[in-house]
Amino acid sequence: MYKQQVIKRIFLWCILGLLSPFSLLAQQAVDVTAKADTNSIRIGEQIKLQLTATLTAQQFKDANFKVLFPVLPDSLAHFEVVTRSSLDTSINQDQHILHQTFTLTSFDSGHWEIPPMRFEVFTGANAAPDSAVTLPIGVDVNTVAVDTTKAFKPIKAVQTVPWSIWDYWLYLAIGAAAVLIIGGLIWYFKSRPKKEPVIKVPTVTPYEIAIADLKALKEEKVWQQGDIKQYYTRLTDILRTYFEHQFGIAALEQTSEELLQNIKPVTKLNQQRDKLRSLLSIADLAKFAKLQPTADEHEGCMQKAEEILEWTKPKAGPAEETGSDATLEKA
Amino acid sequence: MENTSSDIRQLNEKIHQASAFVDLLTMELGKVIVGQRYMVERLLIGLLAQGHVLLEGVPGLAKTLSIKSLSSAINAKFSRIQFTPDLLPADVVGTMIYNQQKNEFVVRRGPIFANFILADEINRAPAKVQSALLEAMQERQITIGDTTFKLDEPFLVLATQNPIEQEGTYTLPEAQVDRFMLKVVIGYPTKEEEKQIIRQNLNPELSAPIRPIIQPGDILEARKLVREVYMDEKIEKYILDIVFATRNPEEYKLNKLKPLIAYGGSPRASINLAWAAKAYAFMKRRGYVIPEDVRNICFDVMRHRVGLTYEAEAENVTSENILSEILNAVEVP
Repeated sequence: MYKQQVIKRIFLWCILGLLSPFSLLAQQAVDVTAKADTNSIRIGEQIKLQLTATLTAQQFKDANFKVLFPVLPDSLAHFEVVTRSSLDTSINQDQHILHQTFTLTSFDSGHWEIPPMRFEVFTGANAAPDSAVTLPIGVDVNTVAVDTTKAFKPIKAVQTVPWSIWDYWLYLAIGAAAVLIIGGLIWYFKSRPKKEPVIKVPTVTPYEIAIADLKALKEEKVWQQGDIKQYYTRLTDILRTYFEHQFGIAALEQTSEELLQNIKPVTKLNQQRDKLRSLLSIADLAKFAKLQPTADEHEGCMQKAEEILEWTKPKAGPAEETGSDATLEKA
Repeated sequence: MENTSSDIRQLNEKIHQASAFVDLLTMELGKVIVGQRYMVERLLIGLLAQGHVLLEGVPGLAKTLSIKSLSSAINAKFSRIQFTPDLLPADVVGTMIYNQQKNEFVVRRGPIFANFILADEINRAPAKVQSALLEAMQERQITIGDTTFKLDEPFLVLATQNPIEQEGTYTLPEAQVDRFMLKVVIGYPTKEEEKQIIRQNLNPELSAPIRPIIQPGDILEARKLVREVYMDEKIEKYILDIVFATRNPEEYKLNKLKPLIAYGGSPRASINLAWAAKAYAFMKRRGYVIPEDVRNICFDVMRHRVGLTYEAEAENVTSENILSEILNAVEVP
């Protein structure tokens, strides 16, 4: 009797021994783990919890084979879920590793356990789901030691963020780009070929203009027609314009006395000073005092004007003395 | 009435003779006033052109002596009013005083009842006193109580302003300054002139007293002749061009002056420029005005009539600078 019982037990053990590898295979179909980056935090600190499911290449390729990761609520017992990463896959030799990372925190001090995580495993299209469960993870949540004997400390003042050049990189880049563009434009405009200046060909000199104007004044017989004031106004204006263009003296804006003073530096003109003084005196009297000079005086003034022009006439070539724009284009 | 050529020739001769006293007067004043010919000339212009003169210069430049000597040389009544912060209008023009014996109010005339008034440091008195004087200058009459008194002619006010020590002064408003025909800025005498001044002061016998050369009536006659001095239309246009250039410089190609001028010369500036040019021509013994006359007195007539902007003041631009630019740009007839 006892012998039969012993044989039965041996037989059962053998059957169990034969069946156990198959049951192990079934259990090891998906390897799931839960791993925390630390087991001890201070209150409020964060823990990275990584859930991993390791699949074989065959399982991964099987369209009917599915592993559903646990859906964590926002709050676990004593833990809060701060962030969830999306599901990621990596390949290690023949294994395909699916993993998801959760950031947890805890505000309760003490020793707590992150509960076991349940993965749902579907092995076939119509197969009933199986479960794979991770081990619980113990975490110590430590509180901060507070010395209650000491007084409350004031709230810290606002701290300035340390200056970093990288905070301004965009502005620096824009500035550098602007400098480069402006520099490039300056370089371009400076280095491009300049237009050749248009050389004005002198056609008529101030002397020639003055002579022509005097001739016109003579031909118009202005004083013969009784317009004495007009005659002397034009006569002096011709001379003043000539002085202005030939010698750079602003004669049109100067009185007779000022003009006689200002011709002193122009030697050639100064040599004709007496003639000019006599002419301007008669002209001033005619213009401002209604003086009626005699016909001889009219002719005499015209002659003096011509003599002054002849004497101060520039020699062929560039203008002498202080000539500003000794040659003019005919209008 | 249109002047003919012969009229002007006659006028010229008449003025040549009548203006001889100017040289005599200048010589007489030269006995006691060394240098300062410019100031004396301007005083005579004011006297002949019925204008008043504002003198600006540091103390000790013979301002009082000049006008006192001028009044002595003309045998006219001189009075000096020292303007102070506590001066009242009645101290200048006069007031009504109760006469107990006659049992009535009688007029007590103020120092303004004279031919030549020296209003010393006019900017030290408050506005109401300045205003009383300036009204008298303009109207040439004073009203005390119910009675209006005509001021004696010739009537010339020479007011002085000290360019330094501006603290505690009442600057003359632009409208009041405009009432002065001329604003003359006088400077220090030359070294040679100052040597002469020292000698004259150390030996008073060197300087003879001023003798009356003419009578106030002669000045009034001379004024009539000044009025007759011929001014051609061209000269009138020249005066207008200068005054208008202070108002609208851009029309005379002086765009750069536009931001420097706050306001230009008033019509009173044109009138005074014409009057002063005539008086200057008279002094030069001419019966007609030439552009030189206008240019010569232009600075003194215009310098206080051109208002400067803050921009001009910031750039240290003076009214003289602006006038120089204008005179160099406006065409002379």
